[in-house]
Amino acid sequence: MNAAKTWKEKLGNTVPEAWAREIDVFETQIELRKKGKIEEKLFAETRLRRGTYGQRYDNGQRHDGAVTQLLAYPSGEITKGPTTLWDAPGMQRIKIPYGRLTIAQLETIADLAEEYSDRILHVTTRQDIQLHFVHIEDTPDLMRRLAASGITTREACGNTVRNVTGCPYAGVCQTESFDVTPYANAMTFFLLGHDDTQNFGRKFKLSFSGCKDQPCALANFHDIGCIARTRMVDGKKERGFEVVVGGGLGSVPQNAQLFDAFVPETELLPLAQAMSRVYARLGEKQNRAKARLKFLVKKLGLEEFKRLTLEERATLRPDPRWTAFLADLHVTDEKPLRAAGPLPAEPHPAGFAAWRATNVVPQAQPGYVMAGVTLPLGDLTSDQARQLADIARRFTGDTLRTTADQNMLLRWVSEADLVALYQALQAADLAGAGAGTLTDIVACPGTDTCKLGISSSRALAAELGKQLTGTELADNANAKGLHIKASGCFNACGQHHVADLGFLGVSRNVNGRRVPHFQLVVGGQWTNNAGSYGLAIGAVPSKRVPEVVKRLAGRFAAERQGDETFAAFTTRIGKKTIRALVEEMQAVPPYEVDPSFYTDWGDPREYTIDDMGVGECAGEVVPMVEVGLADAEREIFESQILLEEKKPAEAVARAYSAMLVAARALTREKNPNLSNDPNEIVAEFRKHFCDTQLFYDPFAGPKFAQYFFRIHDEHANAKDPEAVHQLIEEATLFVDAAHQAYARLGASLGGPALGIAPAVDSAPVQSSPSSGAGA
Amino acid sequence: MNPSKLQLKLFVERNGHKPESEAFIPIFHRWIKDHVLSELVIDVANYAHVPKGPGVVLIGHTGDYYLDDAEGRFGLLYSRKRGLASAAFEARLEDLFRRALHAASLLEKEAVATPAGETRLRFTTNELLFRINDRLAGPANDETFAAVRPALEAMARRLFEGSFELTRVGDARDLFGVKIAGTGKAADLTTLLSRVGGPPAADLP
Repeated sequence: MNAAKTWKEKLGNTVPEAWAREIDVFETQIELRKKGKIEEKLFAETRLRRGTYGQRYDNGQRHDGAVTQLLAYPSGEITKGPTTLWDAPGMQRIKIPYGRLTIAQLETIADLAEEYSDRILHVTTRQDIQLHFVHIEDTPDLMRRLAASGITTREACGNTVRNVTGCPYAGVCQTESFDVTPYANAMTFFLLGHDDTQNFGRKFKLSFSGCKDQPCALANFHDIGCIARTRMVDGKKERGFEVVVGGGLGSVPQNAQLFDAFVPETELLPLAQAMSRVYARLGEKQNRAKARLKFLVKKLGLEEFKRLTLEERATLRPDPRWTAFLADLHVTDEKPLRAAGPLPAEPHPAGFAAWRATNVVPQAQPGYVMAGVTLPLGDLTSDQARQLADIARRFTGDTLRTTADQNMLLRWVSEADLVALYQALQAADLAGAGAGTLTDIVACPGTDTCKLGISSSRALAAELGKQLTGTELADNANAKGLHIKASGCFNACGQHHVADLGFLGVSRNVNGRRVPHFQLVVGGQWTNNAGSYGLAIGAVPSKRVPEVVKRLAGRFAAERQGDETFAAFTTRIGKKTIRALVEEMQAVPPYEVDPSFYTDWGDPREYTIDDMGVGECAGEVVPMVEVGLADAEREIFESQILLEEKKPAEAVARAYSAMLVAARALTREKNPNLSNDPNEIVAEFRKHFCDTQLFYDPFAGPKFAQYFFRIHDEHANAKDPEAVHQLIEEATLFVDAAHQAYARLGASLGGPALGIAPAVDSAPVQSSPSSGAGA
Repeated sequence: MNPSKLQLKLFVERNGHKPESEAFIPIFHRWIKDHVLSELVIDVANYAHVPKGPGVVLIGHTGDYYLDDAEGRFGLLYSRKRGLASAAFEARLEDLFRRALHAASLLEKEAVATPAGETRLRFTTNELLFRINDRLAGPANDETFAAVRPALEAMARRLFEGSFELTRVGDARDLFGVKIAGTGKAADLTTLLSRVGGPPAADLP
């Protein structure tokens, strides 16, 4: 009955030839891997470069709350990468360059989510769309259908140029220098598959922003951030870009540095190519933890990096693509579907005013507005996606944009249609108010689907949304603009560093059991293209995070002065004050009193990090270790205060001391005669925990230990505030790694038997990470 | 024509307190832990925050079980994703009905928390929604309906042991769908399940 038996046959030449060939090759590689004719690491990189990821439990193990059970996949031991079983469902990342999506593309992805995934389209913080629980054998057809609509998943992952992000307001923004869309588009397809971007040691991220002060493209945490600028030359306006380099979040957040205040538009693409060559040639290849561009820029120094880049630029063979796109910068222009007109007179439907206040932004073009579509946790269903496509078709035209705060944006809405648009969105359950406010919480996938997740950032965000929506706090003029962002681990996919209130998933050991926690990070700057990063205050149990948010946001609501930012507010009241508030919330009741603290949000299983593949050993709690680790945490906090008090040398010394204390707390269990001499601590720590790899993080390897060794070798001599800030971050991570090592190696350290019910204390005491269990 | 990606949804009766789909998260986790189903189930996904969405999903290797709110009607959707590669369409259809009805009958036995107290689900037994989750193998058109109708009728005849109606639902963009309605006296789930062969014995490759 159906002429075409395969999607390849059905789609025919609607798939661009080069893309069709790539997908055919990938399909063949899948078959070869199944037959064992491609080595698994090679195949892993191959599929990652097509955006086909692994997912939690893909090692065939899942902790059910009591024990780890094996998942008996029918394909048995066949793998699609190291420790990644063939049949385990995975995630497919779909690159949406600068977030621009056509109606047809949205409808295609809606169909794919339905047929290959779980009917959910998930918008990410990098403007991608992800589908989860996808089987690898479905991916070639999925890619063909995307390709037929003009989307490639090539280089959505792997050591490649990732999705080029861009300001979703580009072209209609009131404050932009000019529309960056055609430049982002040209950069995307120039670097895609380019010879000079195929040999990176790690991923490479670019963003385009139309203006410097707004947050929209978050240029400062990108490997290359391009900010639109103009200048007058001989009475003529010339376009170009302020280019910043070497930014990044992750475990070592780094602000990008100014490479050039004005790169002419003709030089932008060759400059990126030259930087790619330098990065490919000199970037770290062996140690993934040191492989991002930010480390290379730091290692070389900005001036040397710049010299090498410009030297490379001079050697490049001229490429017509560098400037060809400039001949028609209007190729990406969007035109309104409907004539501009005034907003219909009141009465308006219930809820309209609130929605308009938070979700509608005037365009540069009179009579037109942008309407934000708030997506809870970045999710929408296939049905909703099709309805949204219909809404765009009816009101705005062919394109929509995804945003870095996991929403969607309709542009070119005539104000005359705004009420009707609102009602259409309501009918699709897409008219939620509060875009970009306290209740619009950003979260990475965390433990829901990510292999590296430590705590459930999504479930936390959902819970915060439930507890905050409709409250006086959420409607308070001072507090409603606060940004909350949650990451499931230190890799910071939730971008918690640039939130007013950021949360980073960690775990803590309390009375021999794991308790999910979130490290509170306050005072990050979302504006100014993610201008600065927040500082960690302390870890609180997951179940107490909503209370922490309510207290801090409530205090800000009550005490904000003028248009003071939350970052300025935290500086004014002092981090000691915030720390004191956090300390009140750190207590964890004994399991027998309230076992809910020992589960994460949205998951009834007793909490564990076993699903990360980390084994836990039996043993007994040794209070001295916990006390030592708690002391180290305290010293970390003190170092932050010293930095705030503009005492950088003392702050560094204290952070270093925190690391020594943590290292000694662990090492003393191996060498009871250990002195307080730093050289001896370092030597013994190296011998017992690094030479043996016992301290190595299962994913980050020796990275955290190396932080410690470096600060020791360098005699803790960082001086400028940014370096001190970073050193404190590193110390925080080292201490956290010590916690993890302690929990992991409990038995050999005389520690607790995690995963096994401990003996019930005759007189249970409240325990907290800061005070030490039983202290 | 032999599509393999098939879906069947059973609707929860409209009377009584509708439980939040999140109330089923611990139940599905327990099903994984205790191997309640005779197939490989892997994880529980929670989309309760999305209106009229997939709700809470028990993710399996060959099929998923959704406690979903799509179409604005709460129910259990079983979605067969893979497997039964060499089976005839009739065999796939029988397997689909057995798994969906079996899971529904298990859910009816579960005590579920609601704001008004504990309750138990009751499924409507005279209305089912069948879909083909594959726009290539089963596009939403009359040709597909003509091709699958005999097998659907045979299954409906077994299920309802009497009169029934098949009605196509959805538009051209949707998945191919058919509402199967029994027009005689409604039987309970156990009876329906026995009529189509009882609980599935094991996951079929």
